[in-house]
Amino acid sequence: MTVEIQINNTPNPNSGFLTWSPAGCRVRVTNPSGVTTPTVSLKISATSAAGGGVVVFRAGATGAFAATLTLTVPTNGSSVSFFAAGKFGSPSSANGDVTIEARNGTTVVGSVPVMVRIRKNAIKLSTAERDRFLNALAQLNNQGMGRFQDFRDMHTEPALSQAHRAPGFLPWHRSYLLDLERELQAIDSSVTLPYWRFDQAADALFTLDFFGKADPIGTVQFSAANPLRFWKTDGTPGINRSPHFPTNTAPPGLRNEAQTLAIGTSFAAFRTMEGDPHGLAHTSFGGWIFDPATAPKDPLFFLLHCNVDRLWAKWQKNNARFNPATAASFVPNGNPPGHNLNDTMWPWNGIITPPRPSFAPGGAMATSPCVPAPGPKPRVSDCIDYRGAISAAAILGFDYDDVQF
Amino acid sequence: MPPVETNRALTEEEIAAQVDSLAADLRHSELAAMLREDHPFYEQRSAAAVVRLRGWILLALARAGITDDTLHFVLEELDNGLDPYLVAAAARALRSYPAANSAFAPFVIRALGNIRGHNEPVSFAAYGDYVLAPGTGTSPIGELLETLIWMASAARAVLAEVRALRGPAFPGRLNGRLDSAIQAIAADPPESAPGMQEAACCDLRGMLPWAQHSLHPDQKVIFEDDHGSRLGFEDVFRGHPTIVVFFYTRCDNPLKCTLSISKLGRVQKLLQERGLADRIHTAAITYDPAFDLPARMRSYGERRGLSLDTGNRMLRTVEGTASLRRHFKLGVNFVESVVNRHRIEAYVLDAKGRIAYSFGRLQWEEADVVDRAVEVLDSADARGKSGSAGTAFGAMASIGLAVFPKCPVCWAAYLSMLGVAGLQHIPYAPWIEPLLAAGALVNLASVWLRTRTTHRMTGAWMVTAGVALIGLSRFGWVTSGLGVAATLAGSLVSALSTESRPYSTVP
Amino acid sequence: MAKKRTSKTKSAVKSAVKKSAAVAKSARSKSRASARIMAALNAAQPVTPGKPGDLEHMIDVLRDKEKPIEVRFAALQSLGAAAFSEPDFPSIQGDYTAALREVATDADSEMRRRALGILARGKDGFAQKKLMDGLKNPDQALLPPEKALQLLGNDIHSDAYPIARAMVKNAPNPTARREALRLLATDAASAPTFEAILQDKKEAPEIRQISAAALHSLKPEKLQEYARDILLDPSEHADMHQTSLTALTQFGDAELGDDKKLMNRVNRMSASGSATVKSSARQFLGKYKAKE
Repeated sequence: MTVEIQINNTPNPNSGFLTWSPAGCRVRVTNPSGVTTPTVSLKISATSAAGGGVVVFRAGATGAFAATLTLTVPTNGSSVSFFAAGKFGSPSSANGDVTIEARNGTTVVGSVPVMVRIRKNAIKLSTAERDRFLNALAQLNNQGMGRFQDFRDMHTEPALSQAHRAPGFLPWHRSYLLDLERELQAIDSSVTLPYWRFDQAADALFTLDFFGKADPIGTVQFSAANPLRFWKTDGTPGINRSPHFPTNTAPPGLRNEAQTLAIGTSFAAFRTMEGDPHGLAHTSFGGWIFDPATAPKDPLFFLLHCNVDRLWAKWQKNNARFNPATAASFVPNGNPPGHNLNDTMWPWNGIITPPRPSFAPGGAMATSPCVPAPGPKPRVSDCIDYRGAISAAAILGFDYDDVQF
Repeated sequence: MPPVETNRALTEEEIAAQVDSLAADLRHSELAAMLREDHPFYEQRSAAAVVRLRGWILLALARAGITDDTLHFVLEELDNGLDPYLVAAAARALRSYPAANSAFAPFVIRALGNIRGHNEPVSFAAYGDYVLAPGTGTSPIGELLETLIWMASAARAVLAEVRALRGPAFPGRLNGRLDSAIQAIAADPPESAPGMQEAACCDLRGMLPWAQHSLHPDQKVIFEDDHGSRLGFEDVFRGHPTIVVFFYTRCDNPLKCTLSISKLGRVQKLLQERGLADRIHTAAITYDPAFDLPARMRSYGERRGLSLDTGNRMLRTVEGTASLRRHFKLGVNFVESVVNRHRIEAYVLDAKGRIAYSFGRLQWEEADVVDRAVEVLDSADARGKSGSAGTAFGAMASIGLAVFPKCPVCWAAYLSMLGVAGLQHIPYAPWIEPLLAAGALVNLASVWLRTRTTHRMTGAWMVTAGVALIGLSRFGWVTSGLGVAATLAGSLVSALSTESRPYSTVP
Repeated sequence: MAKKRTSKTKSAVKSAVKKSAAVAKSARSKSRASARIMAALNAAQPVTPGKPGDLEHMIDVLRDKEKPIEVRFAALQSLGAAAFSEPDFPSIQGDYTAALREVATDADSEMRRRALGILARGKDGFAQKKLMDGLKNPDQALLPPEKALQLLGNDIHSDAYPIARAMVKNAPNPTARREALRLLATDAASAPTFEAILQDKKEAPEIRQISAAALHSLKPEKLQEYARDILLDPSEHADMHQTSLTALTQFGDAELGDDKKLMNRVNRMSASGSATVKSSARQFLGKYKAKE
């Protein structure tokens, strides 16, 4: 007998990625040879490589997760649904470092390698994780000729009104990061965006082997093996960045995580974090990252914003602000175009007539083999229930190492 | 006053002094010539220096007074300019036009939208002056508001947009002027608004009525396309009409190259929808061939929605760059090999690679360009069927040319011109006289109409003289013969004048 | 400067009282808001604005040469952050630019550097002119030549190529030469210079790597060939071997796997050499081995 296990309810072999959020899975008997009964009992469990991710299961959309799950599966080929999720605190560090198995008795009758793919603190990445991330980033940039230029072009002067100075700031950047992360994953599916906790020392980030060390005039230096040595934007090689603080400390004067999470329990209050800590984190440096129109030329931008998004996610978790229909989860109306709850967001919506900018770089939102959301033209409302707390169909397919489901 | 110096060794300040002299002498045409991008004194200057110079010329025009010939330069800045100094200078210059025109209102509103993120202070006090302290100088938004106040009720169509400017992002210092603008626009127009003009004094948007330009394509131009294939001018442009736009990938004004390429992508879709994709080709040619290598062009085009195949190419010149620049009289200049300034330009070429239509300076509409290309295609088809039209009548570039060969009465008149002169000898057919006379008058009218496009008067005067002489033909056959000859010659001169019209007169 | 502003504010309040109580109330709230801002800035702490008028106060502090420089930097950092987040930032953008031009000639060199940096990234004509003037007349320079070149590199449309070429030939210091080369990386006419430098083993590895990056833009078809030659040349600098290996691993054509000589060379590197080289070589082989 053999069985097929489908992760994220799809037979696509590239869909074997889990987060802390429950992912719909299916199991079915594909070859019933040797079985005479109409059903068979299968035990679902996962085995992890050393240091690999841990996966837990449950039968339905609610209830507790457990390390194993016993299912009664028809032998006529019909599927039985179950749910799998990464166990909080035990993310993977490589693709396929955990295998989901189906056992009939003690015999493994089907298995599928998966990864508990979670966004992590940059300074806690393993060397291999770091290098895979840097390689994917450098290839997306492709020495200035790659898809990264679209991401650079999304965040320039005529477009800033779409992304900043209004409530859509957080949803827009969530979408922006997700689009970039999916492009990185198309290069190396094991990669997630790491975050830079700007309220903690991160000297392990500002090294020659990772995000580089600024020289006295603010030209960033990299080691010979670091592919960011080949970084190029707008035709110009290199990165300009001058930290105005010692990089073995956190930049001073910004709200720390606890202060940020305590800004207020309504989104209207919380969104003031666009200034402090977000804006002040940008302006803790001189160089490209200081100015809105040049900031994404420095890839540190995406690590900074990943932390901003993590803070929002944590605030959402702390205050149960996942329901787009709840006023405290967002400022739904009365905002500029692109910033209201039901507005589609530029550039993914492709609208290039005023008041939107005249150019929509990059086309639609990158797709994921794991989840259908947010679709090609995300709305602001698609970015709020990112982990499917209200609707499983809304899951965006990312999670943070320290934000529990 | 000595002729205008064009030596690029002149310092910016020396050029500025010349500009001042020209403005003092009200020499509009010289000032207008200085605004052409290919003017030699823009060569090898930084983009910032070009901004300083052009801004100063616009300010000089503001003093001398904007005319119809210089209006396009002003509207261009309002339409697609992003530099605060140039937009502010253009806004000021527009106020020197003889009268406010409601057609200006969309341009002013568009400029207010474009410049919102770039409302930097500018100084008009002296050449090259920069504002160095808050609260001094003027600004593009400030100047645009003054222009709206000047326009008053002529800006009525955009009153709602002007009201919507109020808000936290609007410079507080200008709130008073915004109030004044709203009041001025909302106020009823005076009983006899002196000089007030309604919209559409002229075609302010889209196609400029430029004449067909039929210089023979330089055979020495060699292109490389987005996939690295080498092609001659004829390989690319012969055998089908082509819609051509110019661009370069390092352009940092998204209202110019990025928008032109995005629009070309939409043109391709329109052609596809109309089933014409294989009959009308498209091409995007870079101003910056040394940097815009095939892969870079391809990536730039595809990211802006361009479909690329053998009928739709992005091109860089590998030989004959200067010839191409001459052929199209491109509105561009360079610092080293980098573009320091260019206008928006798009063309429809006929099946022989000749320029049939030119679109420039202002944003063009995709449907307009497609319509023109279809006209070129249709006229080629019609010629193919009749087999009669020569190259001189190839494209439907001007009203005169459109009317001239299509007016059967006129043809009858031309062919019977000798008969018109000899009508007195045909007493048994009196009805033909008024018919042919009417034909001659229609021809006369069409020739005069055509002067509006060509600005060439010779033919029209010749035909007028000819018709007058025919009218006086009772004084003898010599008069009559001269009249016929003058009418025929004048008609031909008028029809052919597009062929020889120097492109450099295009703004 | 601060005194002047205070007196202006007072007189504004006086006149407002005469006009209407409502306006006076608004003016008082502006003055309360500025107290919070001033307290933070005076403690050299960056701060985000909360009320109308706060941004103007920050600009005043930035311009106030009598304030300690750390206080003025805090104001600059706060204004920079406001550019990201504050809906009313566009209303003061003009004043911000003018203030930056003013402090671009400040007595404090770090203030000049920061202000000119912001302006140059915005392609400001005033900043470009000052930077170019400084390169031509070093005694008038607001910044060292290497920094000026780096900032001019923010706009390919400046006229800095000739002076950068001159700096490559005769630079006041190696960093200035490096920045001149970086600026020229967008200059098609400089391709021969980059080819010569890349092939010159006497040049520093960093300079050669910048040349390789520039050639990738200007002559991409040649670059892979150069990287291969460097990798196969045992007399090359270890850093250049590593850089070439990284470049070919990340950006090489799939056909590299057919290159027996190169594959053999990388095979040897994967067995000997530093841990980093071994790791890079293994990545290379992982990518191209299928073609072997």
